[in-house]
Amino acid sequence: MKVRRKCKLLVEPPSSATGDIAFNLIVFFLVCASIQPDSGRPQEIPRSEENQEQTEEVENIEIALTGNLNAISLNGDTVRTSELRSRLTKLLKSKTRPQDKIVIVKSKIDTPYHHWVDVTTEIEQSGGQITIQREEQQTIQVQ
Amino acid sequence: MKISRRPLAANVPSMAMGDIAFNLLIFFVILAKATDDSHLQWDPAETTEVTRAGAAKVSIVIDAESKYYLNGQQVGIAQLAPQIEQILLNSTGDDRRVLLKVHRNATANHFEPIIEAVSEAGGTIMHVLEEKRN
Repeated sequence: MKVRRKCKLLVEPPSSATGDIAFNLIVFFLVCASIQPDSGRPQEIPRSEENQEQTEEVENIEIALTGNLNAISLNGDTVRTSELRSRLTKLLKSKTRPQDKIVIVKSKIDTPYHHWVDVTTEIEQSGGQITIQREEQQTIQVQ
Repeated sequence: MKISRRPLAANVPSMAMGDIAFNLLIFFVILAKATDDSHLQWDPAETTEVTRAGAAKVSIVIDAESKYYLNGQQVGIAQLAPQIEQILLNSTGDDRRVLLKVHRNATANHFEPIIEAVSEAGGTIMHVLEEKRN
């Protein structure tokens, strides 16, 4: 007995769906491209606390920043920004207590953020703990 | 003569189910992930080493015009500290992370009060920066 072969059907993807597929692919890649995870640097800055019982005198390192990107003031001495890390490492080497490793950063109002980030990165990499000191605003009435 | 009615089957086309599910999935992913501050204009500062910032309850932006935004909403500097405290009220550990997105040329009189406010609220600052390319 001769068995007839089943007739083969030509299977084509439905052409009406290609628009939908293309749209879905566009949306998928757009979403992938637009969601980029943020990256950055964590920083812990201690809270300002008024400690009445503090009796010990602590001499902290002070760094003053201005709009000048090439030079900063380290304990009153003007140093080049490129030399900061070596100078700081030397200064912090002799300090053993954590409270002595606090570096006070004072910034003039025209200090740009990218310069502040560069300097604070250097401080942290030298082993210092950053704290900021802002210029106090006072209203003086002149009579 | 009686004509018998042909029953018509009203089926939902199952072919489209996958597409619908996929579109819904993308819709909710966008809703969940896209932060509201994506429209703000700011250029990040650069640094040598960066780590992944991760998700945070609080995101503060100082844009190119030195305006302050808290989770995408423009706020004044005076409202910022109490609002951060309010958001971080019952948060602990990594939930206290605050993303700080500051325009690279913003000056200290704009970004220092923010750092101080976050510090006072007990938040952990994460500066959002770009990796330096040599």
